[in-house]
Formats: sequence, C-alpha cells, structure tokens
Amino acid sequence: MSPLDSLYRDPDTARITLDRPADYLHAEHTLRSWFFTTDHKRIALLYLASITGFFVLGAIAAGLVRLSLVVPNGVIFTNDTYNKLFTMHGVIMVWFFLIPSIPATFGNFLIPLMIGAKDLAFPRLNLLSWYVFMTGALFTMVVLIVGGVDTGWTFYAPFSTTYSNFYVIPALIGVIIVGFSSILTGLNFIVTIHKMRCPGMTWFRMPIFVWTLYATSLIFLLGTPVITLALILLVMERAFHIGVFDPKLGGDPVLFEHLFWFYSHPAVYIMVLPGMGVVTELVAAFSQKRVFGYRFVAYASIGLASITFFVWGHHMFVNGQSQLASTVFSFLSFAVAVPSAVKVYNWTATIHKGAIRLDTPMLYAMGYIGLFVLGGLTGLFLATLAVDAHLHDTYFVVAHFHYIMVGGTMLAFLGGLHYWWPKFTGRMYPEAWGRVGALLIFIGFNVTFFPQFILGYLGMPRRYHVYPPEFQLLNVLSSAGSTILALGYFFPMIYLVWSLWFGKRAPANPWQAKGLEWTTSSPPPAHNFLAIPRVDFEPYDYPIKAPERA
Amino acid sequence: MPDAVTAEAVDIELAEQFVTKEQQRDVGTLGMWAWLVTELLLFAGLFLCALILRIQFPADVTLATTHLKFWIGATNTAVLICSSLTMSGAIVLSRLGWRRGMLGCMLATACLGTLFLVLKGYEYYQDYDENMMPFLARPYALGAHPSTRLFLDIYYVTTGLHGVHLITGVSILLVLTWQASRPRFLQMHQNRIEIYGLYWHFIDLIWIIVFPVLYVLNR
Amino acid sequence: MSVSGSPAEHALALWPPAASHAATHVDYLILAFTAVTLLLTVPIFLAITYFALVYRANRRVDRTHGSDRNVKLELSWMLIPFFLTLTFFAWGAQMFDTAKHPPANALRIEAIGRQWMWKFQHPGGQAEINDLHVPAGQPVLVNMISQDVIHSLYLPSFRVQMETLPGRYTQLWFTANLPGIYRLYCSEYCGTDHSVMDGQITVQSPRDYEHWLSQAGSSQSLAAGGKRLFANYGCTGCHGAAATVRAPMLAGLYGRPVPMEAGGTVTASDDYIRDKILNPDHNLIAGYKQVMPSFAGVIPEDELIQLIAYIKTMQEPGS
Repeated sequence: MSPLDSLYRDPDTARITLDRPADYLHAEHTLRSWFFTTDHKRIALLYLASITGFFVLGAIAAGLVRLSLVVPNGVIFTNDTYNKLFTMHGVIMVWFFLIPSIPATFGNFLIPLMIGAKDLAFPRLNLLSWYVFMTGALFTMVVLIVGGVDTGWTFYAPFSTTYSNFYVIPALIGVIIVGFSSILTGLNFIVTIHKMRCPGMTWFRMPIFVWTLYATSLIFLLGTPVITLALILLVMERAFHIGVFDPKLGGDPVLFEHLFWFYSHPAVYIMVLPGMGVVTELVAAFSQKRVFGYRFVAYASIGLASITFFVWGHHMFVNGQSQLASTVFSFLSFAVAVPSAVKVYNWTATIHKGAIRLDTPMLYAMGYIGLFVLGGLTGLFLATLAVDAHLHDTYFVVAHFHYIMVGGTMLAFLGGLHYWWPKFTGRMYPEAWGRVGALLIFIGFNVTFFPQFILGYLGMPRRYHVYPPEFQLLNVLSSAGSTILALGYFFPMIYLVWSLWFGKRAPANPWQAKGLEWTTSSPPPAHNFLAIPRVDFEPYDYPIKAPERA
Repeated sequence: MPDAVTAEAVDIELAEQFVTKEQQRDVGTLGMWAWLVTELLLFAGLFLCALILRIQFPADVTLATTHLKFWIGATNTAVLICSSLTMSGAIVLSRLGWRRGMLGCMLATACLGTLFLVLKGYEYYQDYDENMMPFLARPYALGAHPSTRLFLDIYYVTTGLHGVHLITGVSILLVLTWQASRPRFLQMHQNRIEIYGLYWHFIDLIWIIVFPVLYVLNR
Repeated sequence: MSVSGSPAEHALALWPPAASHAATHVDYLILAFTAVTLLLTVPIFLAITYFALVYRANRRVDRTHGSDRNVKLELSWMLIPFFLTLTFFAWGAQMFDTAKHPPANALRIEAIGRQWMWKFQHPGGQAEINDLHVPAGQPVLVNMISQDVIHSLYLPSFRVQMETLPGRYTQLWFTANLPGIYRLYCSEYCGTDHSVMDGQITVQSPRDYEHWLSQAGSSQSLAAGGKRLFANYGCTGCHGAAATVRAPMLAGLYGRPVPMEAGGTVTASDDYIRDKILNPDHNLIAGYKQVMPSFAGVIPEDELIQLIAYIKTMQEPGS
C-alpha cells in the first residue's frame, strides 16, 4: 500500500505539503483565467457569485412586497408596481436562485471531489452552461427591472398570452434559455456520476449528496424540456396567435396548467433534494457517526425524484379537473410522505448517540430538519382534497412553500456554504458570528412566515395588494419578521467576505469529516488530487459506529 | 473498397479529465443519449396533446388530418430513412478509416436533409394556399371548432420544431464535414462522427413518430 | 334582520367564521390532522434537541448502539405515518365527493367573472355586482364562467373555492347555516386589480332573502329573458314549434343523452348546449343535416346563460 492510499483512508494524518502544486485559486490570476476556465471549482465560484447577486435582487423585491403589505389599502405602491414586484421576486428566486443554487455551486464543486475525479465529464459544456445561464438570467433581469412583468412566476394562460400589458415574451425567452443551462448541468452530472468515479467508488460508497444530485439531474433532464415546450407555446401564442391555451383562439387554459406543473412540481424537488443531501452530510459530520440506514436514504432520493413526476395534478384540484384524477393525484401526493419520512427519521437516528458539535453548519442543519418537517406536513394538508378547496391560492400555500424553499433549501444552502467554505476558499469563517447569524435567520424566518399560515386559514388570498383590514395585524407581524430575516442574511454575507482576507487559514479537514473531498488540501489543487484516489472503505467511515456484525 | 493504402489510423485524443480513452468514448456516447432523452421529452408533450385531442374529438381532428398532404409526408419519411442509411454508412466508413467515402456519405446525408426541408417548405406553402393556417390574419377555411384549430396549431408547432432541429442538424453536419475533411481528424476525433450519428438518427426517429401521429391515425 | 356587522370588525380573529356544516367539517378535519401532525413531529423536535444536549461531543456518555441500519424500524417509520395520514386522504376525498355532487334542489346562481368584477344573477333575474345574497338553510349552487382570464371564486366562510375558466362552466355549492356577512374573493391571480375583485356574501333567513329579492328589482327572470333572446336571435325559426326547417326539438332536451352522428351519445349539459350554440359544426347530431350558423362572437356570456336557462324550462309537450 502506498502512503497515498493510507491518506485517503484516514484523512486526519499529516498532509504531504512538499512539492504541492498551487491550489486552484492561485494557479492563475488573470481575469481570463476565470471567465474562460474549464475548472469545475472555478465555475462553481462563478455560479456562487452570480446567484448571490440574483438572491440579493430577489430579496430586495421581497422586502418591497412586505413593505407594501404593512398597510391594507395598498397606498405604498400602485397595483401594477406591486404585481411586478412579486413577479420579480418569484421569477428571480425560483428560476435564477433556487433551481441553480445547490446543484450549480456545491454540485459543481463537490461531485468530482466526492467521487475522486479530476473534473466533470464535459468541462467546456460546464462553462457553456454558466454562460447560457447568465445570458438568460441577465436578459430577463433587465426586462424585469426596466419594463416589468406582471404575470407571477407561474405565467398562467390566457392572462400571460392575451391580457397582460407588459413584457412577457422577453421574460419568457430568458427563462427558456436558463432552462437549457439546467439541462446541460444535469446531463453533465449524470454522465460524470456514471462514468467518472474513481477505482473502488461503487454506487453504494457514494456520499448521499451525490445520490441526491443524481436524482436532481434526472429531474433536470426529464422535466425541463416539458416546461421549455410549455413556455415556447406561450411565446407562440402571444407573438403569433398560434392558439393553444386561450379559448378565444381555440386553445385550452387547463392544458397550460398541466404542462406547467408537470415540470414545476418536480422542480420543487430540484430545490429540495440537494438540500436533503447537504443536510445528510452535515448531520453525519457533526455527529461523527455513520448515516443511519444509508441505503434507504439513498433509495429515498431516487424514490422522491420518481414519485414527483406523478403528482402534478394536486395543483389543480379546484380547476374543474375530474374527481377521479383529483383523487388519484391526492393519493399519490400522500405517497411522497413515505420517502420524506425515511429521511427525517433517519437523520434523527443518526444524531442519536453521536458526538455532537453545535457549530454553525449543524445549527443550520437542525433548523432545516424542523422547518422542512413543518413545510412537508403542511404540504400534506394541501394534498387533502377538501382542505385544498379552502386553502388553495391563499397565504397558507405561500407559507407552506416558503417553509420548504427558505426553511429547507435556503438553510441547507447556508449550512453547506459554511461547512465547505474552508474547502472552497482555504479560510475559516468566524464561528461566533456564524452562530448569531444562524439564530437570527431562524427566528426571523419563523416570525415572517408562521403568521402566514394563520392568514391563509383565515382566507387571505395570495398576490393581494389591497387586503381586508382585519388581516393587518398578522401582516405587520410578518413584515417585522422579514426585517429580522434580512438582518440575519447580512451576517454571513459580511463575515464570509471578510474571511476571504482575514479568516484563519483552513486545514485540509477542519471538521474531522470523512469523504474524499476532505482528503485533498484546502483549497484543492487544479486537478483535485495529487493522484487518482482508490477507495476501499465504506461511506461515512466515522469513529462512532456500531460493532461489526458477525 | 478501402485498402491498406487509403485507410487512415482511427483513434481519439485523450482529454485531460479522463483516465482512459475507453472512458472518454463512453462519456461522449452517454452524454448524447442523455441529451436525446431530454429532446424526446420536449416532443412528448406535443405528441400527447395530439393523441388526447384525437381521442376526445375524433371527428374534428379527422377533418384536419384529411387536409394534410399525406404523400409529401410519406415521401419525407422515406427521405429521412434514406438519410439515416447514409449516416450509418458514414459511421461504418469512419471506423474503417476511409475518409473520402465517409465524407461522401456525410454530404449525401446533408443533401437528403435539405431535400426534406424543401419538401416541407413546399407543403407549408400549399397549406398557406389552401387557407389552412388558423393563426394568420387571413381567411381560414377549415372547421371552426376549437379542437380542429388546436390540432392544426399543434401540427405546425411540432413540425416547425422538428424543422428547427433538422436545420440545426444539417448545419452541424456541414461544419463537421468540413472539420473531418482536414487530415488527422480521424486520428483525433473519430468518436465525434459516432456521437453526431446518434443525433441524426434521433431527428429521423422523431419524424417517424410525427408521421403516424399527425398524418396517419384515423385518417 | 339577524345579520351581524361587517367582517372587518373581527380584527383579532385567529379562526375564520364557519357559515356552513361543511365548513365546520373541514375545521374538524384540519384540527384532527394537526393533532396527528404534532404527534408525528413533536417527538422528532424533542429528540433532536435532547440528543444535541446529551450527546455533545465533549460529554462522556455511553455511545454504544446496536446497528447503523435496521430495516424493520425504518419500514415502520416509513409506513406507519403513511397509513395514519391516509385516514385524512380518505376523509378529505369523501368530503370532496360530496362537494362534487350538488343536491338537485339547489338554488342556482349564475356567476360571470371578468377583469375585475363578479356578476351574479339569481333565477328571478336579479343581478348583483361583486356582492351576493343567499338564503340560509338551502343548498346554493353557483354556476360560473369567465369572460377573459382564469379567475377563482373563493368563499372562505364556506371553505370552498372553484376556478372560473374562460370557455367552460365550473360549479361549486354550499348550504349556509349561519346568517351574516362574509367575504368573497377572486383567489386566482388575474391582473392589475386582482386584489380588489372581491366583495361580500350576505346570508339571510329565507324570509329576508325573499324580501331582498323583491326589493332588488328585476324586469324578468333568466328564463323569461332567455325566451325573449330565443326569439330575437331567430332561434324560433328552426327550433320553434311552427318551424318548417327540420331542426332538433329542444323541449325536454336538458340532461338527456343526445345520439351523435359519429356514434355514441353526449349528455345535454350546460357546456354541451353552450358549445352547440357557439360551434354547431362540432358533435353533429344523428339524423339531422347541419345547417345552423355559428353564434361565436355574437352572443355574449350572460345571454348564453339566459338562453340555457330558457332551454332548461322547455318541457316536452304532454309531460
């Protein structure tokens, strides 16, 4: 056995520091070396920078929406401005932040590191995906800011095709372009995971994070073309009057709902699954314990990605869909609870009897579990036919999906960002500030969104600019919470940037975590490993483990 | 036939992210298959809409289908099947390293693809002449019922989308032919011909679904 | 008048008023579901917090455990919550079934949604904009259609909503049991003034409702209006009793199966009659030559509703 082999087995041993090649950040310094790089790690950082920018814009739009809702009579913004603001928030957050968030940044950076590859299968395609993403996203962004679109991120026909007076077509074209970037990223991941694993890295030795990204990529590949088609048909109808959705032109508006949700429900799992993967890594690392029921957790990812293609009809219980279809979709939606339950209970069992450190990433992971459970179960409420007839299109739905998207995906994103920050940058973030930020975000989030469950049950419809005065108290509470949430977001933004220059130098493996990404230096060299690793140990090979079975 | 003199060495150049050439070949092929799956899903929605329309409103859809130019569609099907044959020929010859024959087959494929587009264009022109395009600001002659219109709209979107794929395919093929005409191409990038072949067969396959679904069923 | 004040007075309410038995039923369902949810989740929250405190890395505690997988345990926490929640699926589906089958004796209100107002019409022809009066104790069926984009009629106090689609009728029904004034909304985003496309629904005792109807003023009922339109649009020329053209007789048509030329039958529903007026070429009827002109773009939605109301009242001679 070579000395390198023992290094991969036990990452805690002293690193070989002599003759080390320059790490990927310092290999080259020109602007060109960033914008024309094919290194998956640099591309991941390009994505990280761009989606952070989009997140800030989306958050500003959300802040303005919450500001407007402080008063019930809607005097702060005009009706069209308000409609443009919530459309801007939705379009940016869904299409340009949440969908690329974890896959395009962490996935790009970590998949090759975690499976012991030198790069993704198609490095140039990977760079192309970023350019495609930026082209579409910036284009739509300019449209949203300069002209504005008032359709909501759902673009329901025939409003979007015939009745909206704003710039729907350019906005749609941008979103269609971004869809191609998703497809190319998903394609790259699938091929990489199939063909680029290092010797000994079998499917069941892959980290759960890689499993969840594999499942996510399947959705990218199978779902995105359908939304591309639906949006192309919208453009055709609006531009050339090729009637597919507007009854006045011979179309059917319900058809758009079908095509839209056939993608957009699975898209929820594009946002959720990678978060689950991140949290699994965090829970195992900060409990120093093997993931409980590894195989079930892995299967559950694929299970979720499969079931999610058969539940789109639960967005359409109140549009005249046949009773039989609604009942079947309701039942299938309940089935989503099965793989979700496995994940949550197995995380809990992983924490049981671990050696737990409550560092910032673990705080985010624990917050994630709580909020995701709440978000998921309120999803079951909405999947119940008679309940949906009341809560559909109310603030209950808004609260539900923010618990999944912010309480789930966003917290997982931040937890992962802190966990892998040393690996990305070679610097440690300040731990105390990290914990304060995590706490503020958790509190701010709950104060913002819990009142919205009540508002929804009281019957406040979503996308209302002017609302009945009896709802003002809860709305003010929610807006107050959003300021705490915004303050919370400032913390990581400031201290993470600060740490780039002033943070402590990070060791290769600051968390005593297992997994190939921790066996290479922080930050890793240009081609990730000094030599191709060979894996002959099980995943999550942590010190606390059950006695070997006979 | 290729002999030892005309046949060139056939190989690929190892890119830096791979360990073996076999891995590199597999990656290319799998990547194209993944892309084709996504393309298939793009068309699947349209096929599904057309089929559901046929089941729900058989009479209205038949009214539309009887006005489609069956014989042009059938000829085009034959043209595309021939082009798949020439593309397969190009792939076989590329494996043998017989560059001139391969280039000939590729050009023939591009010509057949263009022939398809010309015939399709003529078919659109006839439709236009017969006032079959409900979305234009001119008289429209077929049944007024929404499902007839919807079916025709889906027909134009589907064939248009397929046409866009074919135009892309022919353009890429011409560029590839130009690249392949340079020396040493087959020694460095032989697998590009095979990967491109998959895409061409796929465009063909889509048309082979389009033809029965839109032209033939309950005619 | 036993009607309570404006809904805006309930400023601090944390629970919406329930104005029908079905609404109370939904509340029970949601409360029971919440209880089960808490049963399933509170142990997780408590366990995570407890573990995080007891098994802190710097504490000396016993960390030996059996195994890092346990298929039986995992299957049980996968399936037991699933079957537990399936109860609520069944409960919700059963209530949904009731909601999909309005009673035959329901009072029928016709609603038209358009950017950005609701128009409601009572059988007697009384029309209201954005507000709706209904009697307590009697099932009320709202039959609706949109003139432009998708809207959705939402009555939170009855825990019901239904999208209002262009080109197609949709329905919802409820039985109010508590007189009062409640809110109604458009809940599907429909453009600039979506948020002011709302109004009030007033539930009155049957006697007050009769009184209101008589005060609301209407020259003629929907069916009577339809009869006038039937003559004005020249329908009587072919479909009337004295017609010389051989056209299908409409008496007793509503709700009956109509034989199709292409084989099979279609039930003469509201949608069928509307479609037949607008697109007579579609669904050709067995035994008749299609000579009827299309009225698409000629007859507006509210007149279509009156025509259909009239056609429904046409009885077969002798019945």
